Amino acid sequence: MTAMTPMTPTPPVSPLLPMPPVTPLTFNDVEGRIRALLVKDFKLEPGTLTPDARLDELGVDSIGMAELVFNVEDEFGLKLTDAAVRLSTFGEVVRFIEESVAAQRGTAASARLTQGARKAT
Amino acid sequence: MRRVAVTGIGLVSPLGHDATDVFEAARGGRSAVHRLQIAGAHRLLAPLAARVQFDGSAHFEPPQFRLLDRVSQFAVVAARRALKDAGCELTSAERERAGVFVGTGMGGTMTIDDGYQTLYGENSDRIKPMMILKGMHNAPASWIGIENRWHGPNLTYSTACSSSSVAIGEAWLRLACGAMDVAIAGGSEAPLSLGSLKAWEVLHTLAAEDTADPSRSCKPFSRSRSGMVLGEGAAFVVLEAWDRALARGAVIHGEFLGYGLSTDAGHISRPTVDGQAAAMSAALAAAGITAAEVDAINAHGTGTQANDIAETAAVKRVFGTRADRIPISATKALHGHLLGAAGALEFVLSLLALKHGVALPTMHLDVPDPDCDLDYVCGIARVGAAGRTMLSNSFAFGGTNAVLALRAVN
Repeated sequence: MTAMTPMTPTPPVSPLLPMPPVTPLTFNDVEGRIRALLVKDFKLEPGTLTPDARLDELGVDSIGMAELVFNVEDEFGLKLTDAAVRLSTFGEVVRFIEESVAAQRGTAASARLTQGARKAT
Repeated sequence: MRRVAVTGIGLVSPLGHDATDVFEAARGGRSAVHRLQIAGAHRLLAPLAARVQFDGSAHFEPPQFRLLDRVSQFAVVAARRALKDAGCELTSAERERAGVFVGTGMGGTMTIDDGYQTLYGENSDRIKPMMILKGMHNAPASWIGIENRWHGPNLTYSTACSSSSVAIGEAWLRLACGAMDVAIAGGSEAPLSLGSLKAWEVLHTLAAEDTADPSRSCKPFSRSRSGMVLGEGAAFVVLEAWDRALARGAVIHGEFLGYGLSTDAGHISRPTVDGQAAAMSAALAAAGITAAEVDAINAHGTGTQANDIAETAAVKRVFGTRADRIPISATKALHGHLLGAAGALEFVLSLLALKHGVALPTMHLDVPDPDCDLDYVCGIARVGAAGRTMLSNSFAFGGTNAVLALRAVN
């Protein structure tokens, strides 16, 4: 598989996605919710999840990353790109998902506008 | 060729989890077939199965458990029990050569069924990430290898209902020729998903429910037989070079004499007398024994129209005028058809029959089919009748026939 590092700071997001949850999110929520997922699914100590902590060293192996991505997608109602499973530290994961959440909102909003425009014609 | 000993038995079966319990249930004719309680069971014409009493979460830590389909849970637990029974510690050099041989017909079919329920039933793309790793056929063998750090052959055989007899036989071949010294071999099956049951049902192979007593629904060789009942579970044996077993003072459950393989190459589902007879003859040849030395047979005996007649004719062809004096046991009436694990469970039951000198009963055989006119040990165990040498038959859709020959230890 080829490397899928995003060319722009914003991770690519598929336009064909279920609508994200309408509950308002702050970036702090994102970090807290990812931490909660990791603690619940991988039995990690919350204190170990510092920004520089490498997830593989905490026992989240390549299969674990696939599961984490799946659970994050469910939690936030979005679709992440393959690049997500190759992230290394907790901080990188949080940043990637914060950016994905933000990008998703933009895409979803423009999709709704496009849909509205189509209906109007 | 070297002699090969069976030194360990491990079971996760509808008849129980311990060799003694399983043997006593089979000897007493106690059926493990019951009405099946699963979501959607009402959509089955005859919701019957032989289930295992089993809570996988009691046997694995959560991080591993999440990766295991029920078929792998059965396999790993049964393999642990077989290795514990054998009591053999392997050196790191021996672990380089030790092999794992597993038969399974349907692999992780419950995981696949669950994934397709999400994909098609719920029209959702949220298939869980472990579907491939849980569903693949070789997962049970891999997990047994990982748990024991055995680096020799790790092989999975899928020849439908003969899968685990093939697995045991192929392990024996490598042991007998000196390529390995220790192997764990057997089979595992967890086929009781709605999708799988429906697929078997529409093939018109499953038994109708005996309305008076559902536990009597599988009736091998009976005039009123109507098909098989699916079962689940796993059975494993530890096979070991005879001299190695003797040298370490192991308890030897029996001697593996030989394995015969044949292929019908006729029809995808209809068995042939030629193919079944050829497999029995091949087993005799591999074991270096004559037909006259066979004291008893564990039949494939599924309770389907086609098998029971073909198998009866094949036994007559191989054993001639002696055919009707050989006790034939069809234990699927009690534990159901474990598909890829059936041959291994029946091999173990044959070992135990020899060990106890008891021919196991064929249950629910009130009125035999006129075309099934051999001695099926009808309804009650026969003490002293198993003799010293047995064959265990496994035949299969697809036409791969496997017969195992085994002998009691004096």
